[in-house]
Amino acid sequence: MKAISMGPAKAAQPPADGERSANFSLLRLSALRKMRVVEAPVPLLELAGVSKRFDPPAGTGSLVILEEISLEVRAGESVAVVGPSGSGKSTLLHLIGGLDRPSAGKVLLEGRDLGQLSEVQLAFVRNRLLGFVFQFHYLLPQCTVLENVLVPTLAGVGAESPGPNNPTRCEESPEERAIRLLKRLGLGERLDHRPGELSGGERQRVAVARALINQPRLLLADEPTGALDQASARELGRLLAELNREERVTLIVVTHSMELAAGMGRVFTLSGGRLQPSPAAPGTPPPTS
Amino acid sequence: MTRRSLIQRSLRFHFRSHLGVVAGAAIASAAVVGALVVGYSLRVTLRDRALERLASASFALDGGDRVFGRALAGRIAGSERQFDPPLHLRAAGSGEERGAPAPQVVALLRLPAIATRADAAARANQVQVLGVDADFWRFAGVLPAPAIPEGAVMVNAALAARLSLQPGDPLLLRLGRRGALSADAALATREPGPRALRLRVDRVLSAAEGGDLTLHSGSAPPLNAFVNATELEAAAGLTNTANLMLAGPARPGSSLPDRGALELLNARLRQNWTLDDADLRLADAPAPWDLELRSPRVFLEDHVTGTALRLGPANTTVILTYLANLLVCGTNAAPYSMVTAAGAPFTPPDLAEDEILINEWLARDLKAGPGDTLALSYFLPESGAQLREATNHFRIRAVVPLAGVYADRSLMPDFPGLEKAETTRDWDAGFPLVYRIRPQDEDYWRQWRGTPKAFISLAAGRKLWANRFGNATAIRFPLPPGLPRGAHRDHLSAQLQNALDPAQLGLRFEPVRERALRAAGQSQDFGQLFLGFSLFLVVAALTLMGLLFQFGLEQRAAEVGTFLALGFTPREVRRLFLWEGAALAGLGAAAGTGGGVLYAQGMLWGLQTLWRDALAGSGVDFHVGAPPLLLGFGASAAIAILTLGLALRHQGRQPAHELLSGIPRAVLAEESPRRAFWLMMAGGLGALAILGWVIARGDTTNAGAFFGAGALLLLSGLAAVAFRLKQPWRRRRHSQASLLEFSLRNCARRPSRSLATVSLLASACFVILSIGVFRLEAGRDASRPGSGTGGFAFIGESTLPVTQDLNQPAGREFYGLDARDLADARVVPFRVRDGDEASCLNLNRAQQPRLAGVQPERLTGRFTFSKAARGLDRGRGWELLRAQVAADEIPAVGDANSIQWSLGKKVGDTLDYRDEQGRLFKLRLVGAVANSVLQGMLVIDEAAFVKKFPSESGYRWFLISVAPDRAAELAAALSRALQDRGLELAPATARLNAFNAVQNTYLGAFQILGGLGLLLGSAGLGIVVLRNVLERRGELALLVAVGFRRGRLSRMLLSEHGALLAGGLALGMLAAGLAVLPSLLAPGLDFPVISLGLTLAAVLANGLAWVVFAIRVALRGNLLSALRNE
Repeated sequence: MKAISMGPAKAAQPPADGERSANFSLLRLSALRKMRVVEAPVPLLELAGVSKRFDPPAGTGSLVILEEISLEVRAGESVAVVGPSGSGKSTLLHLIGGLDRPSAGKVLLEGRDLGQLSEVQLAFVRNRLLGFVFQFHYLLPQCTVLENVLVPTLAGVGAESPGPNNPTRCEESPEERAIRLLKRLGLGERLDHRPGELSGGERQRVAVARALINQPRLLLADEPTGALDQASARELGRLLAELNREERVTLIVVTHSMELAAGMGRVFTLSGGRLQPSPAAPGTPPPTS
Repeated sequence: MTRRSLIQRSLRFHFRSHLGVVAGAAIASAAVVGALVVGYSLRVTLRDRALERLASASFALDGGDRVFGRALAGRIAGSERQFDPPLHLRAAGSGEERGAPAPQVVALLRLPAIATRADAAARANQVQVLGVDADFWRFAGVLPAPAIPEGAVMVNAALAARLSLQPGDPLLLRLGRRGALSADAALATREPGPRALRLRVDRVLSAAEGGDLTLHSGSAPPLNAFVNATELEAAAGLTNTANLMLAGPARPGSSLPDRGALELLNARLRQNWTLDDADLRLADAPAPWDLELRSPRVFLEDHVTGTALRLGPANTTVILTYLANLLVCGTNAAPYSMVTAAGAPFTPPDLAEDEILINEWLARDLKAGPGDTLALSYFLPESGAQLREATNHFRIRAVVPLAGVYADRSLMPDFPGLEKAETTRDWDAGFPLVYRIRPQDEDYWRQWRGTPKAFISLAAGRKLWANRFGNATAIRFPLPPGLPRGAHRDHLSAQLQNALDPAQLGLRFEPVRERALRAAGQSQDFGQLFLGFSLFLVVAALTLMGLLFQFGLEQRAAEVGTFLALGFTPREVRRLFLWEGAALAGLGAAAGTGGGVLYAQGMLWGLQTLWRDALAGSGVDFHVGAPPLLLGFGASAAIAILTLGLALRHQGRQPAHELLSGIPRAVLAEESPRRAFWLMMAGGLGALAILGWVIARGDTTNAGAFFGAGALLLLSGLAAVAFRLKQPWRRRRHSQASLLEFSLRNCARRPSRSLATVSLLASACFVILSIGVFRLEAGRDASRPGSGTGGFAFIGESTLPVTQDLNQPAGREFYGLDARDLADARVVPFRVRDGDEASCLNLNRAQQPRLAGVQPERLTGRFTFSKAARGLDRGRGWELLRAQVAADEIPAVGDANSIQWSLGKKVGDTLDYRDEQGRLFKLRLVGAVANSVLQGMLVIDEAAFVKKFPSESGYRWFLISVAPDRAAELAAALSRALQDRGLELAPATARLNAFNAVQNTYLGAFQILGGLGLLLGSAGLGIVVLRNVLERRGELALLVAVGFRRGRLSRMLLSEHGALLAGGLALGMLAAGLAVLPSLLAPGLDFPVISLGLTLAAVLANGLAWVVFAIRVALRGNLLSALRNE
């Protein structure tokens, strides 16, 4: 692991007052990118006392979904979070992915507090540092498989320059990379097909390729096999594990499937708003709470 | 893969669901383009008509009452092939100006006339008879030039239609006779009867053949009859004369350059006119003079006298001779004698103003001598038909012999009816001979004719007899030293021609083409008007489009969520969708541009049929060109994109995970209702403040306040709805939820959707209701002096001027009316200077509006002044016509609508006008009367009128008041008595209704097009219902599963959406009701309960029909299958 250079990181400190006041310049975006330059001894992801509660109508108590969750995930790791429906697994993943903001605590990605980032900065993070795979594929029905995979490259933020720690970026065009990924995922023959012409498993694999197109540091999968049959689910689980190794992408999977969870390096159980190491995965160190 | 290709893919993939958006944009675009095409069509039509009515003329010289030699036109056109531009144009001018072909100039004699069918079945007043020759037809581009044989007449289509004339039909034309001396002069011949011409219709002329020739723009084509020039001149006793000259390009259809050409023509006029053309004659004068300048018009205008005196040698003599009705000394009296006012050699320089010289005949006759007092009675020169007599007393200074300069019968000017009379019995004077003419008077006339019997100083004479027509009757010039006698006439004539400006004598070319084009160009903007009428249609279409677009976006919420999750910023997402929307808007606008052409044709059809009153019966031809299409396309695409942008403004703001979860935002989180609350409060208070202000001021016709209050109330109401929809729904504890409550609660599921529906319905309902209240009805309170009719029963317009005062017994007697005929009636006569009709019936912008002169006191208390110029009190009423204004200004009052719409001015503004002598002066608009029969003209004080237009004699416009039960009798008596004057009487309410019809028609059009908008709004409601129900099919299926019957579901949905419909209508009604409250409180305004009630019922039924239809469609089929799909 390389160390995070705190100098540039400070220079890149983004304003925290949301999209409206975000005068997020290219300079700051490039500073964010420079975070990749140095291997850091700090974890890739760190949750520090993260809580999430909803305020229901007046007169009733607030609904606590997550309570004081702390967790560290290092680069290259694969982590599974399991738990019963409504336990807050997806909420946890949304917080990690910057899709939602915690009520308390911090979500630190490569040492940066996501809660302090503006909408534009968060969009950059989602586009360049994170990859998402949802339970439903959310492919654009109007686009072909290849086009769907390329959609993230159309986002304006920071898409104009490749990351220096990914030499392949200089050699590969997004299209070449998309084709390579799709071939890797067994969809080499389906490039020009529309999502409607694919099976559920194939669609989910396209979604995985889409999540990986910008070479994210962290891949977040929310019930990726939830809508698949057993064989497709198993196949996807295998591919995710392989990609974790091959693409050096850190993987966090939220799932009901113990089989999928078992393929991950560490497994946690979310219950009653708290995250506990799962006995199903003996290698799982306890959370840092 | 690029963003562009992504957008293209999306457009193609979602095309079916986008069709609604495209249709909405297309409807809005069609309405916008259609309105602009209507405006364009009207402008082009007015332009074409303006050019047609000028028959190729670019410039015109309108002599009016003055005639000039027909040959003048030829002299102005000249024989040169090239039309020489002035020096300054030669230097800088274009090739066109430098080598412009010579203009064509034609002269016409134009007389007012009354046309009657030979069988007397129909009569047309206000007919123009034009004496033309072959030159005119060539000028107008009618080839081969038709020759009008003697005894034949060509009529234009309007006159043919009025009298149902066909070629071959006989036609009687009664021509107005013009006297040299103004009919307003006391000594003028009284209203000579018209001369009749019995002719046969040879041909009916179209407008393109110059048939509609007129210099003024009006609401309808003129009534024209074209007669052989020679025949008309002979009939009018005006051989080889004309009073109208038209100048135009050598080739009809082309045009003269406006700049410079006018200057050139007037320069040519100055070079080529003769004294004869201005009714001035140089006659031989007895010794010691050589020549005398005099005029058949009797009086020489002030500036002619001034110029002549300036040119003449030192002993040039000014003579003013007038008729004394009676000369009395003691008990002796001599009737009808001429008296001359002049200086030396007639009177000694020291003759005091109260001294007089009498000739020996008079001294003998009156037995008077030096030192005696002589009473001199005479008619005040400007008293016209009223013949007011005044008497002045003089001391006899001396008795002069009836010889030498005192025995000069040519001192009497050419008084019409007197100058050629052999005996006093032959006098055809305009006054009754009330004093007995004795044999010795007869003998004197026979021997000495009009030789003056007395002489006074010129200063004394001018005090008595100077008048608006002039202050001298002759100027006598001695032979200048060194000039041979034979050369004097030519020399003096040339000098006078050079020194006098024909413009000051009323001979001046005016740029009629430029003026007509400006009038058409500045015409009422029907494009804007119809854009306003179509506003609700446009708004409804755009709202519908926005709704459909939003529905499409809602369906694609997961797509938005995906974009956000993949790292697109919300702005990028919105931009992606906006580009997609822009493409749809562009497509819709393009389709709508085609539809707009059809829409325009539909509206033009409406203007020819349903709304024909808006154009006062004149048609509009369909014209389409690039400007309205491009502008309409651009504008409608822009507003559609803006609307879609507004619909998109919240897109992407919802967190990605919410969008991906598929749960609509409204259910998840409520926006703060605080803004809605403050908007509600501010709007409500603002509306109440305006209403209070209007009621307190009594300004119940203030349209601005109406719209302001109405709009604020509506805004407040809509904010209240938004506030309620955004409030969390709280059910009373322990009470059972009713189906209705459940339904109402559903309205808040999609607040913006519900709000859009209510807004659309409420706004449309508000406009339709409130506009209906503003329909004008002239019959209301018509007898009230403050009403739009001024309390007058009739409006009269005569073809020929009426010089007698119909309020006086003598005037009534003159026309054969007895006291009973006009008992209780009052006639307010107006002098008229013809000009453009400045009423809403004339679509052109009036450039030189018709001007009317009236004695302000005759209108005291009549009409209601709505406004007065700054610093003036509108309570002064008609006295405003005598308000103090700048020296070169004349106060004028007009109808408020005419001032605003026909003149494009506001009270307090000035308007340039040219007087009879061609001098510019300003009309200061000092006040405006509300919604009156005075539309079409500007009214000024009669005293100012006669100063500016001394030749306009008599009265041609009348307001007549009479008790309602005597109205018919009076109308019959007056029409009969003034038949020869071409008097046309119209009930004042009918005239006002004709004006009101325009506004009412506009309101009608607005209501119809607003109704279309409402129809579209109702369709939008149907779509919202359909969408709401389809979205909730699963939920409804569940209700079926738990035991709800389908009927109960329908009732629930009906209550839910019926609430939106009823809410919208109720809000619209409330806002309209409150906003028009001030008008409703005003006396005399009836609320059109039935028509508005029917309108409302129709709106409600239409809305319900859409709701029911949508519910039936949505609940069709097996609902339970939706559960399985879930």
